[in-house]
Amino acid sequence: MVKLKEWIDNNLKGDPIIWGIVILLSILSILVVYSATGTLAYKKMGGNTETYLIKHSSLILLSLAVMWAAHKVQYKYYAKLSLVALWISVPLLAITYLFGSNVNEASRWLTIPLINQAFQPSDLAKLALIAAVAGMLAKRQKNIKDFQNTFLPVIIWIGIICMLIAMANMSTAVLLLSTCLLLMFIGRVPMKFIMMVCLIGSLALTSAIFLGQRGSTFFSRIENFISGEEVPYQAEQSYIAIANGGVVGLGPGNSEQRNRLPHPYSDFIFAIIIEEYGLIGGATVLFLYLALLYRGMRVVAISNRPFGGLLSAGLSFALVLQAMVNMAVAVGIGPITGLPLPLLSMGGTSLLFTGISLGIILSVSRGDHEDAFPVEGNAPRKLAKVA
Amino acid sequence: MNIKKSILLRVRFAFLLVAIFAGVIFYRITHIQFVDGEKWRQKSDEVNLQYRKVNATRGNIYSMDGSLLATSLPFYRVVLDPSIAKDEVFRAGIDSLSFLLSKQFNDKSKDYYKRLISDARHTNKKYLILNRKQIGYQEKQEMMKWPIFRQGRMSGGVIFEKVEKRFYPFKALAGRTVGFLNEDNYGAGIEFSFNEYLGGENGEALFQKIAGGTWKPVHDANDIKPEDGFDIITTLDVNLQDVAESALLRQLLNKDAEFGSVIVMEVATGHIKAIANLQKNKNGYGYGEYYNYAIGGQGLTEPGSTFKLLSMMALLEEGKISLNDMIDTGNGTYKFYDRTMRDAKQGGYGKITIREAFEKSSNVGISKLVNEHFGVSPSKFLAYIEKAGIDKPIDFQIQGEGIPYFKTPGTKHWYGTTLPWMSIGYELKVTPLHTLMLYNAIANDGRMVKPMIVNSISRANKVTQEFKTEVLRKKIASDKTIKEIQSLLEGVVEHGTAKNIHNSDYKIAGKTGTAQKLINGRYTQKYYASFAGYFPADKPKYSAIIVIDSPKGFNAYGGDVSAPVFKEIADKIYAQDLKLNNVQNPRARREQFKDNDQLPFVQAGMAEELQMICNQFGISNHYKGAERWVKSSANNKSIDWKANKVDEPVVPDVTGMTLRDALYVLENKGLRVDYAGKGRVRSQSMTAGMNIPKDGIIKLTLG
Repeated sequence: MVKLKEWIDNNLKGDPIIWGIVILLSILSILVVYSATGTLAYKKMGGNTETYLIKHSSLILLSLAVMWAAHKVQYKYYAKLSLVALWISVPLLAITYLFGSNVNEASRWLTIPLINQAFQPSDLAKLALIAAVAGMLAKRQKNIKDFQNTFLPVIIWIGIICMLIAMANMSTAVLLLSTCLLLMFIGRVPMKFIMMVCLIGSLALTSAIFLGQRGSTFFSRIENFISGEEVPYQAEQSYIAIANGGVVGLGPGNSEQRNRLPHPYSDFIFAIIIEEYGLIGGATVLFLYLALLYRGMRVVAISNRPFGGLLSAGLSFALVLQAMVNMAVAVGIGPITGLPLPLLSMGGTSLLFTGISLGIILSVSRGDHEDAFPVEGNAPRKLAKVA
Repeated sequence: MNIKKSILLRVRFAFLLVAIFAGVIFYRITHIQFVDGEKWRQKSDEVNLQYRKVNATRGNIYSMDGSLLATSLPFYRVVLDPSIAKDEVFRAGIDSLSFLLSKQFNDKSKDYYKRLISDARHTNKKYLILNRKQIGYQEKQEMMKWPIFRQGRMSGGVIFEKVEKRFYPFKALAGRTVGFLNEDNYGAGIEFSFNEYLGGENGEALFQKIAGGTWKPVHDANDIKPEDGFDIITTLDVNLQDVAESALLRQLLNKDAEFGSVIVMEVATGHIKAIANLQKNKNGYGYGEYYNYAIGGQGLTEPGSTFKLLSMMALLEEGKISLNDMIDTGNGTYKFYDRTMRDAKQGGYGKITIREAFEKSSNVGISKLVNEHFGVSPSKFLAYIEKAGIDKPIDFQIQGEGIPYFKTPGTKHWYGTTLPWMSIGYELKVTPLHTLMLYNAIANDGRMVKPMIVNSISRANKVTQEFKTEVLRKKIASDKTIKEIQSLLEGVVEHGTAKNIHNSDYKIAGKTGTAQKLINGRYTQKYYASFAGYFPADKPKYSAIIVIDSPKGFNAYGGDVSAPVFKEIADKIYAQDLKLNNVQNPRARREQFKDNDQLPFVQAGMAEELQMICNQFGISNHYKGAERWVKSSANNKSIDWKANKVDEPVVPDVTGMTLRDALYVLENKGLRVDYAGKGRVRSQSMTAGMNIPKDGIIKLTLG
């Protein structure tokens, strides 16, 4: 025991509670995905259900490894890296929009040559944009009210990336824009600028709807949701799953609705969690996400520099907001979006990007890494140890 | 307030918002579980969902020359989800849509359809079958342009439910061989035997049961895509099949027979080119395909004299006789134990050579010889049958092959009379296919190939599996024996029992057979008349067998009943198949054209055909291009072919073509053709090279 603790202390740096939450959710993810992919495995793999179990488990392990690697990196480097990644994602998004493979009439996927793995450039862009915005805001904290030098570069990047994503994936774009707005709010950008962003954002989104592929789907979904006359098939099946679950649930692997819900292993995994683990399970998952957000937020309190704080806050909010939206869809508070539940849903490369996000948050939470942008002249330049 | 404090405050504010949101989610869960819980749990039982199979498109069956023998045509049932269309779309389109529906189905009025759809929309019905009548693919394409329908499934609500129907373009042609498959996956012929390939892999999709017992697909796409079936390319030749079938039918009608079968096979490859089975309809009038007597178990029968070929083969192989030895057939009767063997000719043939005994098909002669040489050890005789390879089923590609029946010496069914009767084709059972296989081996100089009917399996025009000709026995007898038997078979047609089909154009070799039918253990006055043989005898290309069961009338012998059918088929094939007409003296024909100093009137057509014709007639001709269609140009007593580019999207030049070619070329361009006169196209009303007018009519002058 002592040795284990020693090993953990030496190797798993950063907030131990974040580590704990991630590992708990990963275990739950493997359990639920295994149960939920029964139908898929039966249909595609001729009943070989272990195929998805093995594939998903190895991806989870890989994303944990990525997270570990990311938390070893001093987070000040992420400021530079994020800008590089942002420059890369622009052409990638454009290529995907034009030549990517079509899933449900929207080109979101790009196949990486050689390893033949499909990945969504929007995952990369999302991560890069949030990190970059955090960096840009941190760097300019002193003249945060300067429209031309502070606000303009930030909003141009946000505009370009959200626009490119919106052409193929409206939900992700809207969520990303909201997260950026929140980050700007936290980063002390004046409210009048944020209102301006709202205006520009809605303009950008509207134009993307007219230019892009999924505009009509997006609107019809929202329209359906607002009109509320008729419960769509997926939502109905999701409610049935939730109602079936009761307080304690049907037990692991006993879901019935997994056969009827489309994408029970991704879009509607929360409904399956409630069906199998009950209200208790659902509440636990909610609590875990809130705890994750809280710990991410705590980093803001302990870091002396705005970059670390903003980076950690931005990434935590991005992750948890998406989780909230996904769960809201499953319980019928929001229109159907098709966003996966981070950390829980099955899904190839997006798991890895989630891993990187968490790794960065952990890196900041370690507190022994140097910040990229000093704020006040009299602050100590070297290590700021926090007990 | 410093920067950090401000940031911290803002973060906490944001966290609070998220926490509240999480609270709302939690509240929602409890609401669904406790307030609406009963309603949803009930719904869970009501919503009847099921994974149901989605049928794959069945593969086609083709003849060797590419004609479609069986195909699946899509038909559609028109269903509407009337609740989907937006109000303005619905209001704008409903009138013209109901008008078009009324016109299309031609059963109910426009108002009926309008009311039907509007009512369903009001009651929020999700699935409305507009009409039970199914529509074809073309009609579906047309309908997709109609108002409301043209919005598609997601915004218009129209669903075209595909139903496939099997369609046989040649109707009953080779009906029993092409076969069928019923809903219980039972059937006959190629459809049944190759179902595994034709059927493909069915897909699966989630369906919801709705009122009225219909199943509505839940999603737009299938969950598991069905994989379409493979195509089967048979060895059948539609033209030969037609020839065989009509020749057989004529004779059956002529003789008022019970049933008849024909198989035509290519000697070298064992490819079955035609296979016909016609049986008198139950009502007594006309004939139809009901059972594959040529191949199947019910086709097993005592073959009669066609089996004498095997007896002769055994005798010759034993080396104890020569064809010119004499044999005394006496007065046409001979007693083996308690049974009397009789010859067809009253009073018998007296003393004749063994060759004559075979050619005249003397039962007494052959049975006496076999009994004399094999009586002591009948198993030796059976060893020859085994060597010839017709004692066992051959695992034919179509299921249900009859299993040959032979008695074994020493068992309780083996009597002293068995061997002599066996030697003339009684007390044993084979199908026409097995007999033909034996005759084909003789035609093929002793090499026995396995008959086959499926040449290859393909998908999307790509051959995935090809069946090669299988050699069952490299040599069923010595070369000397084979040569002698070939001469015997030619003798049968030249001056034996089938001399009525002798002709001077080409030689036929074969053997007649007339078996008395055994019904309920007694030989009756009903006959099974057959003829098996091959042609042209000096270079055999095709072998064939004709069997006709229970012909009525005075002449019920194989030579009178079945041989003429063979001749009719052979004549037609001979006339059609240029390769059979070996050019006797090409130079003589060439001289003819030299004298006239005039090239024949071949001006335009398909390169391949024209070249072949010219080569046959020994006219020198040259072609360097690659286009399929050509025009001729004379060049000092030889012909140069010039490419005629008819594939381009302009009016082609068809002058010089035969009408048949011109029609093909022009109608493929969407032009309608009007013509006058006879012969090749002399002029055309539209200039070659101009754009093709829509629905244009082109006038051709022939001459």
